[in-house]
Amino acid sequence: MATIAHGDHGHHEESFLEKYIFSQDHKMIARQFLFTGIFWSIVGAAMSVLFRLQLGWPNETFPFLETLLGKWAEGGRISNEFYYSLVTMHGTILVFFVLTAGLSGTFANLLIPYQIGARDMASPFMNMLSYWFFLLAGLLMLFSLFLQTGAASGGWTMYPPLSGIRDAKVNAGSMWGTDLWFFSMSMFIVSSLLGGLNYIATILNLRTKGMTMWRLPLPVWALLFTAILGVLAFPPLLSAALLLEFDRIFDTSFYLSDIVVGGNLLDYKGGSPILYQHLFWFLGHPEVYIIILPAFGITSEVLSVNSRKPVFGYKAMVYAIGIIVLLGFLVWAHHMYMSGMNPFLGSIFTLFTLLIAVPSAVKVFNWLTTIWKGNLRLTPAMMFALGFVSLFISGGLTGLFLGNSAIDIPLHDTYFVVAHFHIVMGVAAFFAMFAGVYHWFPKMFGRYINDTLGYVHFYTTIISAYAIFIPMHFMLSLPRRYYVFSNYQTFNIFEDVSKFISVFAIISFMAQILFVVNIVYSALKGRKFTSENLNPWGSNTLEWTTPAEHIHGNWPGEIPEVYRWPYDYSTGHGNTDFRPQTEPLQEGEDAH
Amino acid sequence: MLNILLTLAVIILFYTVALFLGGIVERVRALKGEELDYTKNNQTHGKLFLIYGVFFLLMFAFSFKYMDFASLPKAASNWGVEIDELFVITAWITGIIFVVTHIALFYFVWKYRGEKDKKATFFAHSSTLELVWTSIPALAMAVLVVMGLKTWFNVFPNKKTLPANQLTIEATGKQFNWMLRYPGPDGVFGRRVLSKEFVSPDNELGIDWTDPASHDDFFASELYMVKGRPVRFNLGALDVLHSFYLPHFRMKMDCVPGVPTGIGFTPTMTDDETRELLKSNSHWASIDPETNEPRYVKFNYELACAELCGKSHYGMMMPAHVVSQSKFEEWTKTQKPFFEVNKDRIQAWLAARNLSAGASKGSNNYAAFNGGDTSKKALKLDSNMTKVEGATHNIADNKATEGKQ
Ligand code: HEM
Ligand SMILES: [Cu+2]
Ligand SMILES: [Cu+2]
Repeated sequence: MATIAHGDHGHHEESFLEKYIFSQDHKMIARQFLFTGIFWSIVGAAMSVLFRLQLGWPNETFPFLETLLGKWAEGGRISNEFYYSLVTMHGTILVFFVLTAGLSGTFANLLIPYQIGARDMASPFMNMLSYWFFLLAGLLMLFSLFLQTGAASGGWTMYPPLSGIRDAKVNAGSMWGTDLWFFSMSMFIVSSLLGGLNYIATILNLRTKGMTMWRLPLPVWALLFTAILGVLAFPPLLSAALLLEFDRIFDTSFYLSDIVVGGNLLDYKGGSPILYQHLFWFLGHPEVYIIILPAFGITSEVLSVNSRKPVFGYKAMVYAIGIIVLLGFLVWAHHMYMSGMNPFLGSIFTLFTLLIAVPSAVKVFNWLTTIWKGNLRLTPAMMFALGFVSLFISGGLTGLFLGNSAIDIPLHDTYFVVAHFHIVMGVAAFFAMFAGVYHWFPKMFGRYINDTLGYVHFYTTIISAYAIFIPMHFMLSLPRRYYVFSNYQTFNIFEDVSKFISVFAIISFMAQILFVVNIVYSALKGRKFTSENLNPWGSNTLEWTTPAEHIHGNWPGEIPEVYRWPYDYSTGHGNTDFRPQTEPLQEGEDAH
Repeated sequence: MLNILLTLAVIILFYTVALFLGGIVERVRALKGEELDYTKNNQTHGKLFLIYGVFFLLMFAFSFKYMDFASLPKAASNWGVEIDELFVITAWITGIIFVVTHIALFYFVWKYRGEKDKKATFFAHSSTLELVWTSIPALAMAVLVVMGLKTWFNVFPNKKTLPANQLTIEATGKQFNWMLRYPGPDGVFGRRVLSKEFVSPDNELGIDWTDPASHDDFFASELYMVKGRPVRFNLGALDVLHSFYLPHFRMKMDCVPGVPTGIGFTPTMTDDETRELLKSNSHWASIDPETNEPRYVKFNYELACAELCGKSHYGMMMPAHVVSQSKFEEWTKTQKPFFEVNKDRIQAWLAARNLSAGASKGSNNYAAFNGGDTSKKALKLDSNMTKVEGATHNIADNKATEGKQ
């Protein structure tokens, strides 16, 4: 364990480049991930506003769209090809760049060294590389939007043959756009592996004296499991991507067989598109937990600190995450019940999928018990954590419909699925991310964030998010990824609801911009976080024992030693309602 | 351009005002020395969150009423009815959990909102409680799994015998249209050969015209099924993935190039019967301004594509019907076999290759459909689907339409 004193820290002068750009300091890298993540959220969300315009007002034209987008919106209406590029990019950006890299990258970097009592990551250099590969991945993806044939448009899952045939007649987005998509994703996977290995190594090896595994704060546990998931699940996606590129460029037949385009039989023989789906979802399902586990950790921490109560069932929370990770690898084919795979397989996956709801339920009940009989301090961070609990309940429950293969027959690939995953993954993970930003803002930026705007942000977001996604559950007959649906008498009844949803999508977008404005303004002009009060939330964890300004190596002297678990709130001992991990146990106190 | 600039200016103004107001509130708090004292905020937001919660649960309850028009009519297939039952049971179970946990959440936040001299209760764990809420969900899940799998195995029976009077239809998805092939009076599909020799723009499915069974096969531009008669769809796709989706029957299955799939059910409601039902639906009973008639009069079932297949994915709509056996036979008589309609062209094609129509005695097996691939894999993929008799088709009569835009 790292107890070497870094007395010489701060002596060596860093250049601007070293400090802000090619930084190897976990706190700076955390901010780099956060700002890159914010950039991508704005891009991704703006895309959703564009396609919501099309869905809400399919018969109107918006001349400004043509000004902005040129040939992609001739006559002021988004073309169907561009629409599909938009939904594909929206999904990819939000799932991977925002909720994976943005969320994990920010909080793993910020919290792991701080909360375990380490001076930095095990390999600060790898950590820096992880960020730069992520940035590179993003730039490649961004660049694909400017291609003549357009960005990839096969959906964020990029199923072949649509994504496998490099023919503009089949799909314009399957030309260079798709090559860039896979190339960018490969860079992203490299980034995620570099980051993940580093997080695991750091948590296992660099804990300060006394920081046993059972004294780790829950965000660290969650980030550890997240990293394990990522390291095991991303490589199959890389192979899937490679094989698909072979099919695309060298005409191999891993995924393609018996394909007839324009009346001509192509040469592919013997492959199966279903194989790609298996490989994709072998990552894809764990991926949703890669997104939600850090959110679990942040929520547990924020709820506990602001309830002034220990997390209820700390060990159960850890075991629940562990079981979710294990089962998370055994449920991937619930995305494929209707893919044409053997129906018997579907039954096995139904069993495991519904099983995974049990640890999820345990977590929810434990959160509710955590706030029960607490003394709740309703900071904006706390509001978002509470919102997370609500969203996770709502979205998790609809998983029970989809997980049951028989019910999934009609529901698969409809708006019901869209509603399910946006609530449980999209909005919920964002809420945890917001909670984390509000909670650790002083630590990250040395200033406090404006609370009033935070509350406004909270209520507007939760109301508009539910206003968007609750109606979608009732649109359960409507297939997803439809550019228009007025050509069906079964579906044209949804035109008014669709407008309603679009209006709230715009409101929600405006609220998020308010949040970004608040971050930028508060980071520059907010009330200062000073050494007078280094622990504003009365928190037990180690990050609040570091100085107000960021220093290399985190603690000026020795790294503090840890004597207890992180959740001794309102124990009745001592004269405050919290007992920092650095306080030795006193007589009469129970160890946890 | 001016409009855009003006809009931008308004937006920037909006955020500036918001920042300004937010700044004032925080400054006042700081002046009172309350910047980290949340006592007042706890009062405000404990109550506000509770009000929000009541509003949320009410909106949730009302949305069932508001969205009533959106519900599909009673399922029109035997499995659809079973699936709907399962859906409703799941909805009750999850609905109760949803309401109870949300009430707890909103109530706790209000009840335990922080106050200056209150203390939280130290309560770190309880094995009994944890056991209770592990086992109750586990039990509930067990019930759902058992009921779900029962239906699932009904829909996909693991046996190869077909009901005697089954109607088999071959549906092949392609960009952006469905090709529906009926086997004609002989009940057998003409064999398909997926080789460059057979597949051509005139014969996209690679139908082997030397197989006599192909001569009475016809292609339909609307889907017809028979009430009470089991129907089986042999599904495939030419170019990319498609998904054969019949919302009113609660049925769906992907169409995969190179991998035959299938689905079967028994239609239970004719078009007219469903129209009758729709009279009580607010949307369908309303007057259509275009025809001046209630909307249900023009109702028919629809076939849709549920797997993204390219830029006109949404355009793959095909009307579908359930009729009586006698009406079905009437309709069948109006359908011309493809071979008959294109006889001259096909004969010329055959002559050029020294073949003659109907000469083949080859077996109509699946291997032929798969381009002669008799490997275990090709056959196994199909093991749980009913045996696919040769599949076929061609497209000349189905002009590729690019979905209404
Ligand atoms: C309570 C347990 C859950 C169950 C039983 C469940 C079940 C399912 C099932 C069966 C599907 C496939 C639906 C279909 O395509 O037909 C699905 C889709 C999805 N779920 Fe869940 N889910 C659960 C929780 C979660 C969580 C916690 C997340 C993420 C944090 C998540 C994210 C997703 C996503 C992203 C999709 C859609 C992927 C796509 O098709 O684009 N789910 N879920
Ligand atoms: Cu999944
Ligand atoms: Cu489609």
